[in-house]
Formats: sequence, structure tokens, C-alpha cells
Amino acid sequence: MSAESLILFFIVGAFLVGIALLFSSYIPPTSTNPQKAETYECGIPTEGLSWLQFNVGYYLFAIIFLVFDVETVFIFPWAKVMKEAGMRGFVEIVIFFFILGIGLLYAWKKGALKWE
Amino acid sequence: MLIMRHELLLIAITVILLLIEIFLPHDKKHKIILPAILLMALVTAAGFIPGPTGVLFGGMYGTSALILLMKNILNIGVLIVFIQSVSWLKLDDQKEKISEFFILLLSTLIGMDYMISSGDFLMFYLGLELATIPIATLAAFERYKEKSAEAGVKLIFMSALSSGILLYGLSMIYGTTGTVYFPEVAATFQSTPLQILAFIFFFAGMAFKISLVPFHLWAADVYEGAPINVTSYLSVISKGAAVFIFTIILYTVFAKIALMWRDVIYVIAILTMTMGNLFAMRQRNIKRFLAFSSIAQAGFILLGIIGQSQLGMTTVIYFVLIYIFSNLGAFGVATIISNKTGKESIDDYDGFYRTNPMLSLTMMLALFSLAGIPPIAGFFGKFFLFAAAAKQGLYILVLIAVLNTIVSLYYYLLIIKAMFLNRSDQPIGYFKSDGYTRLGLAICIAGILIIGFASPVYEFILKLSYGIY
Amino acid sequence: MFEGVPLTWFLILATIMFFVGIYGFLVRKNLITILMSLELILNSVNINFVAFNKLLYPEHLEGMFFTVFIIAVAAAEASVAIAIIINIYRRLVNIDVENMKEMKY
Repeated sequence: MSAESLILFFIVGAFLVGIALLFSSYIPPTSTNPQKAETYECGIPTEGLSWLQFNVGYYLFAIIFLVFDVETVFIFPWAKVMKEAGMRGFVEIVIFFFILGIGLLYAWKKGALKWE
Repeated sequence: MLIMRHELLLIAITVILLLIEIFLPHDKKHKIILPAILLMALVTAAGFIPGPTGVLFGGMYGTSALILLMKNILNIGVLIVFIQSVSWLKLDDQKEKISEFFILLLSTLIGMDYMISSGDFLMFYLGLELATIPIATLAAFERYKEKSAEAGVKLIFMSALSSGILLYGLSMIYGTTGTVYFPEVAATFQSTPLQILAFIFFFAGMAFKISLVPFHLWAADVYEGAPINVTSYLSVISKGAAVFIFTIILYTVFAKIALMWRDVIYVIAILTMTMGNLFAMRQRNIKRFLAFSSIAQAGFILLGIIGQSQLGMTTVIYFVLIYIFSNLGAFGVATIISNKTGKESIDDYDGFYRTNPMLSLTMMLALFSLAGIPPIAGFFGKFFLFAAAAKQGLYILVLIAVLNTIVSLYYYLLIIKAMFLNRSDQPIGYFKSDGYTRLGLAICIAGILIIGFASPVYEFILKLSYGIY
Repeated sequence: MFEGVPLTWFLILATIMFFVGIYGFLVRKNLITILMSLELILNSVNINFVAFNKLLYPEHLEGMFFTVFIIAVAAAEASVAIAIIINIYRRLVNIDVENMKEMKY
């Protein structure tokens, strides 16, 4: 893809989005009331600020997710050359999964997957 | 397969320990101590079995007889740390996490092994990271102590920053040479300004890891805050491994700009020795004291690196070997005192000889070895380092190093004086140390005595060092 | 796609990112922000490697490999750092570096 077509792509994309927004703001009937302008929270009036701090427990999941998520970076190259790598590559990826599995088992056993 | 036997064995026992940990019931965690130590002893012994050496993965990984020797040295050190840490692991605070200690320590050892036998910068970087990240968790091991968490966070941030700087240098080396393999980088290195900048970044990153002086500030805090066994591991084994690979890379990859890094190391060696000694003098906490003394020792090691020859390599390895035994001996005594009484201040050591003569004598031997008093191993280690530097005609550097040795003698003797001569109203009471501690200290003493009096060890290393330079 | 972009631009971007990261590391007080600065440093290195590989040495993929491994290691590093930070948060109820002054010279 050359730079020109990329620019064209952006222009067309922006144009289409603009058209869609334009149509949706003119065609449907509109009605406003103060309740609608509020931040949506299950229909009842909102409480406090929306800039909450996350619960620290959230980070525990974030850590586990982060580690296992990034490991896919190594699985994708293998998937790309799976046929060429053959049996040897397969055995290697099985070892890889085995070690990852032990890690998961450990996290499970330690109760890191439980929301407190 | 056989070429990588050190790493594969270590990986195998790590996985075994992890599986044991997973399936061990909650209240029987202490049962893992004996199998862990036995397995490690087995691996250490197996490391000495001669086997094939060579290159794997298209040059990413390579071993030689010399590298195998380095790995064996590290194995012995880790085994001693394992044995010494039992008395700490049996305390109530740690009883939930005993196996984690072993597993994390083993994974850092695997990282170090890969780092030492790396043949390109990618393997080197992976090994380096594997060797540092688990140590940060170990430093933060005592979850209920604020200091421990502080040490952990300082260590992980400092090591991440230093590896970032190091990587930036490596990216420039890659950009200018087009390869990350050591031999090819060495062949195409032309010392253009960009490459020299890259080298400086690389050097700064490594200096962080070895805690050489302008980059040493994290070391004392981390050493003080971390649990004492982790401190001993950090100051002896991980420093030793970093020194090994630093020497190898300087000698092989950056051989072309040897004249330049010699000047850099010259200045840094003087700074490191002097600052380490001066700061060590005013410390009252034993861990902090040993931390600064280990910074000073790193300065002495640089003298061997500057020797820049077969002799230089030999003296570095020989010194690290002795240093492992003597520093672990000193830490072993400090560990058992800290675990039995919770005292870590040097003032508490007053009159220690009256209550615990055997431990005092061990401490004395280890400190004499660290200071380099003649008939003991440490003297030979330092002497050979000085000889390597003197052979290059760097007499002023050697003179400064000798002066620093004398200064260091002063503060090592202060502890010995406290133990033997000072009287105290409340000396540390008599306690009986457990079998593991005794075993660990006995290995250290044996190491100090045998290596000091047996010249074959030195001859053996000298013979192996032919290949590297 | 990016044939027109010269190597220098990538290098300038990476250098700016690197030093912004260093600056953030030194100046910021919140531990999570410091961690983000570290990520900036590592990602600047990634840009360097990929740019060098793509524009100077396209015949081998060493730079790409390096980048992939740096990403993975950075994730491991971040997870360990966050774990320790959570621990500090539980002890101190905040994660400001100013409060970590137990040990000084």
C-alpha cells in the first residue's frame, strides 16, 4: 500500500463517519430533560466523582493477565511456521505450554484467581 | 543436550520443586528444605563431571571449559546460600514461602548460567533479566517489613533502569554493526563516535549491576533492607556472575577499544575502592557494612580486569572463588546472629567471643580473608589481582589499591576487636547453631583454607583461561 | 508503507522517548508513574531495534527478535514491580516515593 492510498483511505473513512454522524443527528426525533444529561448510572442519580481509584485487588488480576497475555508473542511466530517447524517445533511449544501451565496451576493453588 | 547440561539440570530441579510445592499440603511446607538442598548438591556434583563443550543455536549459546568452571563456582555458592538460609526459612514469618525462596533463587541461577555462556547480546540480555527480576521479589520477601518492600522496589526500578540504559547502548551497537552476535560485533566494530557512545551506555548499565562507584547508590539500601540471606546472595553470587560476563564481553567484544575502556576502568577502580572503603568505615549496621565492603571488593576485581590478559581472567575468577567463600562465611555468621537474636548492629557484637567462641573464630577467619591477611586465601586472591595490574605497568593504580587494602584492614579489624576485646554488659547470649548452619560455615572455612594453600586450583584456572583472550 | 520516512526520524523519536523516560524516572513521585517511565525507556529501545532492522538490515530479523523478547521481559518486570508496589500500598496506604525513606545514608 502506498502513502497516497493510505491518505485516501483516511479521507474516505473520515468522510463516511462524518456522514453517519450527520444523519443520526438530523433524522431521529429529539427530546431532552435534565435527567438525561446526567452521567448514566443504572437510572438513579449519580453519587460521587467518576475519577475513582481502582481497587488494589484489581492489579493482582492485571499482573496475571499481563504475563500470560504477553506470552502469546512467542506463540504467534510458532503458529506462523507450524508446518515447517514440524515435530521438533511442536515438542518445543508443548514444553513451553507445560511450563506456563505449571505457572497457572501455581497461581490457582495460591488462590490468586479468587476475587476477594 | 549435553552441552547445556548445567542449565537443563537446574531447570529440571526447579520444575520438580515447583511441582512439589503445588502438591504439598499447607502445613508441611518445611519438608521441602531437605530435598531442595539434596537436589542442589546433586546438581553441583554433577556439574563437575566432564562433558562435551561447544556452541548451540547458531552461536547464541556456547560453553568452554572455563565457562563450565564459572558455572560450577556459582553452583557451589548457591548451595552454600541454600544451606545457610535454612535457619532463616524456619522462622515463622517465612514458613509459608520456603519453596518459593528455593525456586526463585534457582531461576536466578539459571539466568546467570545462560548469561555467562551467551554468545550474542540477546541471550545475554535474557540471562541478565532472568538473573535480576526474581532477586527483586526475593528482596521484598519479608512481606511484613517495610524495609524489605522498600529494598525490593529500589532493586527492581534500578535494575530496570540500568537494563534500559544497557539496551539503548545495545540498540546502537546493532544499528552500527548489523548483528548482535559477539564474534561478528567484535569483527565489525570500528570505534566510530556512535559506537563509543553505545559502549558508554553499555558500560553504565553493567556498572549499575556490579554496583561500581558512580552507580552504586542503590546497593547499600537494597542490601540493608533485603533479608540477610538474599543480601549475601546479591553481594556474592549475582555480583560474581555479572563480573564474569562483564570480563568476557570486555575481552572479546570490545577488544578493539581496549585502550579506551582501560582508562575508564582505571578511574572507576580507584573511585570504587576508595568510596567503598570510606563509606564502609562509618557503617554501624552489619549488612550495610558488608554491602560497602563488597563495593570496595568490586573495585579490586576491576584491577584484574584491567590486567587484560590470560592472567587477568584467571585472577578475576580466582578472586571471585575466594570471595564467595569468605564473604559467605562472614554473612553466615551474621545470618545466624540475626536469626537467633535479631541483632544487626556492629555494637551488639561486643564480647561475642566470650559467649560464642567458635562463631567468632569463623567470623575472624572470613574477615581476615576479605581483608587479605597473608596466610589466608584472600591474600593470594588480592595479590594476584595486583600482580595482573602491575604487569601492565599500572604501578600508581596498584599503589592506591594497596593503600585501600590497608584502610580496609582497619575496619575489618574493628569488628574483630569488638568481638574479642570489647567488653559489654549485655553480650549476645550463648546459642547453639543448628546443623545446617554448621555445615554451611564448615564448607566456607574449608574453602578458604584449601584454596589458600593449594596452588593447583590457581594453576588449573590459569590453564583453562587460554581460550578466552 | 513507510518508505518515505528516513531513519533519522525514528532515531530522533526514540531518543526523545528515552530521555523523557529518564526524566520521568527521576522527577516523578508516584511509583506507578515511574514504572510508566521505565516502559517509555524500553519502548524507545524497541523503536530503535525495529527501525534499524527494517531500514538498514532487512535481510536478518535479529532486531525483531530482540524487540519481541524485550516486550516479554518488560511485562515480567512490570508484573513483579506492580506486585511489590501493591505490597507497599498495603503497608503505607499510598505509593509515593517520598514515603520510602527508611534507609538513607
